Amino acid sequence: MNTAENELYSPKKGAMISIKNSIRETILRFFKEALEKKTFDAILIPVKVPAGDSYTWILVEDISLLKNAAPIAPIMPVQGANALSSLTRKGKGNLKIAAILRPCEIRAAIELSKLEQVNLETLYLFSFDCPGALPLLDYTKNPPKGEELFESFFNENKWNEEQIKPVCKMCDNFSIPNCDLHFGILGVEKNNLLLIPNSSKGESVLNEMGIAYKNDLSSWKKKVNEIEKEKEKTKKETYHNIQPMVEGLDSLLQTFAKCIGCHNCMTVCPICYCRQCYFDSEVSKFTSDDYLLRAEKRGGLRFPTDIILFQSGRMSHMSLSCVSCGMCEDVCPTSIPVAQIFSYVADKTQKAFEYKPGRNIGEPLPLKEYKEEELQEIKKSLNESVGQE
Amino acid sequence: MKEQFTPKIVGFLCNWCSYAGADLAGSAKLEILPSLTVIRVMCSSRIDSNLVLTTLLLGADGILIAGCHPGDCHYEKGNYYARRRFALLRKVVETLKIDPERLQLSWVSASEGKRYAEVVNQFTDKIRKLGPNPIQTNPYL
Repeated sequence: MNTAENELYSPKKGAMISIKNSIRETILRFFKEALEKKTFDAILIPVKVPAGDSYTWILVEDISLLKNAAPIAPIMPVQGANALSSLTRKGKGNLKIAAILRPCEIRAAIELSKLEQVNLETLYLFSFDCPGALPLLDYTKNPPKGEELFESFFNENKWNEEQIKPVCKMCDNFSIPNCDLHFGILGVEKNNLLLIPNSSKGESVLNEMGIAYKNDLSSWKKKVNEIEKEKEKTKKETYHNIQPMVEGLDSLLQTFAKCIGCHNCMTVCPICYCRQCYFDSEVSKFTSDDYLLRAEKRGGLRFPTDIILFQSGRMSHMSLSCVSCGMCEDVCPTSIPVAQIFSYVADKTQKAFEYKPGRNIGEPLPLKEYKEEELQEIKKSLNESVGQE
Repeated sequence: MKEQFTPKIVGFLCNWCSYAGADLAGSAKLEILPSLTVIRVMCSSRIDSNLVLTTLLLGADGILIAGCHPGDCHYEKGNYYARRRFALLRKVVETLKIDPERLQLSWVSASEGKRYAEVVNQFTDKIRKLGPNPIQTNPYL
């Protein structure tokens, strides 16, 4: 239905970089060089907080100031697209800024740019083969153990571990999103990294820095495909398990019975960008007489009210752009598998419009365009038997 | 004899076509079942999914959204957007299996008083067969 206006860039060659000490240090060294050469003016990068139990985004001009920068952090406490939105939602600046994000964060950033909440013009997006993120709570319980565990994923190229977030386990979009440059880790010769340009912007960065990109990508692609297949299988299984949890009012009520109405899921969602949400506004609140009337009719009324309305309303508002980053599930205090549920619903709605969020910046949001002849199945519901005058 | 169930249907009618069509049906004294509570909106694309979901979850037996025929929108393309929004909403409701059959989108122009009566009567019949919205008796909602 939505044919993208501009063709997708398909990467053909990459630059092989040898790993010195660790992947982390190698990537940091690249950024240091790029900043010194003034290819970029600043970089937005995850940095471990002084207490050592979490990560935060820092925008910095001199990367050597940051001892604890971690281009690939084990957790995702703040969605990178939100950080980019804070940085650029009032328009682009004069500085060229590099940012290194997980593929799902980049997809969210692309969706936000379509929603005019992120300006990508002066941003250079870097991504990497993402092994997934650890659940926030698991990590904060024992950060050193989390670090050790995450490190082991890289040493043994384990991209399908039990300990990562459930949505990461089923993420078949963990590699090269619509970014400018991508660090390929999988299927690359030992002690090497592939730096792959993925847009003309990315190519110009490498040209400017004098880095040749002539290495073949086939073995990286092969490995990525292999893992994609495994993850697709997990995805099918997860959807199979989620389906009975959300089908029918009774199942929905059971699944969301634990919901305390904190709206954390909405607050952290990168796609829920509205300054004020309908569900937080006074419009969605009623007088006590109204509630009494409702209670009388139904024989009782649950408080907080409208839990299913909140969830289904959010599904219809943001599921087309849902990138399954799992932020909502990470912050749910009652451990409802929100992200898996939303991923399941989003899969259905996105397929209905043949839309993939974050796939292509030139692809308009489904609700922002239309075709005169479409959605025949809706037409059928229009009582076609009713004759026209 | 058992009294026949008269469903409560909320109808969101667009000001320029369907609302005028309803008006015409009324002044032509056409027989219309007394099931529809009409809410006039300026355009069918104004119907946000939250409005429909709120209505449905508060216990309306059916929801009818009616606007101008495609190509005839007073604002040129509002009804095309409405159709997309409706398709999305229907997909969500279908996925959650909360009675997608209770939602309907129809096109009724300002001159189609007769069609308006037929749309309302047919939809009412359909909802009658479905029975009352079970949500009405659920205290956990």
